[in-house]
Amino acid sequence: MSTVSTRAPARPTLTTDRKPPARRRRQVRERQWPAYVFLTPWMIGALVLTLVPMAVSLYLSFTDYNLFDPPHWVGLRNYTEMLTDDPRYWRSVGTTMLYVVVAVPLKLGLALAVATLLKNLNRGRAFYRSAFYAPSLLGASMSIALVWRALFNDGGTISDILNSVGVHAGGWVGNPDLAVYVVVLLTVWQFGAPMVIFLAGLQQISPDLYEAAALDGAGRRRQFVSITVPMLSPVVFFNLVLEIINSFQVFTPAFVISGGKGGPADSTMFYTLYLYERGFTASHMGYAAAMAWMVLIAIAAITLILFRTSRSWVFYADEEGR
Amino acid sequence: MPEPRSGRRPLPRRAVLAAAAVGLSTALTSTLSACSPASGSTSSGVTLTFSWWGNDDRAARTEQAVRLFEKEHPGVTVRTSSGDFGAYLQKLATQAAGGGMPDVAQLDYRQVSQYAGGGALMSLDDAIEDRTIRTSEMSRDFLRTGTYKGGQFALPMGRGITGYAYDAAVYKKADVPTPKPSWTWRDWEEANKRIAALGLKSPDGRPYTGANDGGGNEDVFETWLRGRGGKLYASQTELGFTEDDLTAFWTFCDRLRREGAIAQARDTVQANSTETSPIGRGLAAADFTWDAPFPSYPVLLGDSVHFAPVPTTDGHQGAYFKPSMLIGIGAHSAHPKEAAQLVDFLLNDQRVGDILAFSRSTPPNRKIAARVAKTLKGPEREIYEYAQTMEKYGLDATPTAPPRGDVAVQTAFIREYQRVMYGLATPRQAARELIDEANRELRS
Repeated sequence: MSTVSTRAPARPTLTTDRKPPARRRRQVRERQWPAYVFLTPWMIGALVLTLVPMAVSLYLSFTDYNLFDPPHWVGLRNYTEMLTDDPRYWRSVGTTMLYVVVAVPLKLGLALAVATLLKNLNRGRAFYRSAFYAPSLLGASMSIALVWRALFNDGGTISDILNSVGVHAGGWVGNPDLAVYVVVLLTVWQFGAPMVIFLAGLQQISPDLYEAAALDGAGRRRQFVSITVPMLSPVVFFNLVLEIINSFQVFTPAFVISGGKGGPADSTMFYTLYLYERGFTASHMGYAAAMAWMVLIAIAAITLILFRTSRSWVFYADEEGR
Repeated sequence: MPEPRSGRRPLPRRAVLAAAAVGLSTALTSTLSACSPASGSTSSGVTLTFSWWGNDDRAARTEQAVRLFEKEHPGVTVRTSSGDFGAYLQKLATQAAGGGMPDVAQLDYRQVSQYAGGGALMSLDDAIEDRTIRTSEMSRDFLRTGTYKGGQFALPMGRGITGYAYDAAVYKKADVPTPKPSWTWRDWEEANKRIAALGLKSPDGRPYTGANDGGGNEDVFETWLRGRGGKLYASQTELGFTEDDLTAFWTFCDRLRREGAIAQARDTVQANSTETSPIGRGLAAADFTWDAPFPSYPVLLGDSVHFAPVPTTDGHQGAYFKPSMLIGIGAHSAHPKEAAQLVDFLLNDQRVGDILAFSRSTPPNRKIAARVAKTLKGPEREIYEYAQTMEKYGLDATPTAPPRGDVAVQTAFIREYQRVMYGLATPRQAARELIDEANRELRS
């Protein structure tokens, strides 16, 4: 693939520009300032709405702050309390990890499977692509979570269907062993976004490779394992990182399905929901801020680990000649 | 995208600057104007903000009362907003923290200590002294729930009491006597067992039980505890009950549920309104509830549903009159005088009394309560008479507002009992966890 760039035509601008370098640099500088002027409102926005609140949140994480009285400095107490003296904190970590470990592979697996099917589809591909993508657009909304809650409630459609085939599971929402899977299913159902990205990745793979493999006698399964998977690994990596980060931040479906309480018996008390409860129900804003920083650190660490390990399994086509 | 290079005239510097300046100033002014306080003088006069929680009926009646106030006070405009209980409390907390508390706000008694202590509520003492707000027709004892460190920061809008909605037809069929103010928890247990023994089925074919499971309901526990001479809080930083008390209560409820005398765990967990409660879904014959929401039960379930007292321990009633909600004025209100006038109008004006009627339980103004009571019929008449009966029978005194940590304790109470219901913890383990968590909350 590295040979491709040499075939590209020489850029005409390089040959027509005969001005001395110093003058050109000045011109470029002069042309840049309107850009900065136009960017100013957004830069002020980024500063005022992102960086300053982040700094305040970091400060608050070292305080006891109940929203009403002024924050009171407590040093590392919030952090030590959550790590050593709060069983619910660890339960929320456990629930979130369970969710990440179950939901992410299921969602990506389904996305890849459907993308593979769609790639080989000649007619109606646009229709199916839109149809499968639609839940990703709708899925994060309150209304869908409410519908989901109604479906899985006791006496809802799902329990009726299961009852009719002799499985009496009751309402999933009211069962602490099953409630978390209602949220998992809702997430997996929104596989459209990674599917579209997989589809784009699949279409990038040169048909020549498959033709050559077929000539060598490789079957469909062999082609998938030896061509599709390695050629698609950068896309898998991209989707994986994105989905893991998103999964750690799952909030709306859990909030709606459990009525904001993370129940029954804390079974849907995801990390962000517990953070919200600490901050807005129990008025421990300092503790909630500390929790937010912990999850930021955790996500950063996991992302870093993924990037490190990716060197051994992600295959970039332009590395071929190295 | 290709960058535009040649063949295009560069934009004149002045035009760019002008455009940027206009854009920037628009952006800034729109941001700033969005931040301006909700209350403020407008060209036509004073604008007050007033917010409350409640159902549509209450909203319609309150709007009508507010429009009457505006008519009587030309130049004063009242901007109203309302929502459901949970969302309302969170919104108000955020507003209060940002100094943007509405001029007049309906409050839960759990918020009084927190808001008054945090400087979010204005003291009403001056307004009461100069009679802008009149309290002469209200019970002195009852007003105490709106006080914080000796000052009056909120006033009750309604007087509520816990009770028990039950289906008299089912009780008769099971040969259970009509619940009297002196009936006991043992009688209650017996009633539930007899009803379950009838072998009735719910619409979806499941066994019909005696009542909902009140194990996760802090109010039910409080009634049970007070009947035995205890109380929820000993002070603003201390619980008033022990691990043994709570273990005994949870063991009692847990046993009845296991025996099938009261509703199953999954039905208790999914109950968040009259419609979704076990009685509303035809799964049980009774429900612990408050007087204010009771009238919706007969509407939904038929005229055989009546309102009874909660069980006692050896005849000692644990119920007491509680403010169903209070009203207060934001500490940073720009128009404290008009806000106080609105508070007085809502609490003491006879016409407003007629409009609001019992939409916030019994009005605290005795004259208005007596006047409105004459017009009551059906279930509303029943809850009015219930309160009269209970007052004669003898109730516990109204305690002062609970400590700040109570909101967290209340949610922990539900959660820990759910752990018991699903066998994730024994009653004692759950009670210990609850007490640990409550002590942490009360300390901080």
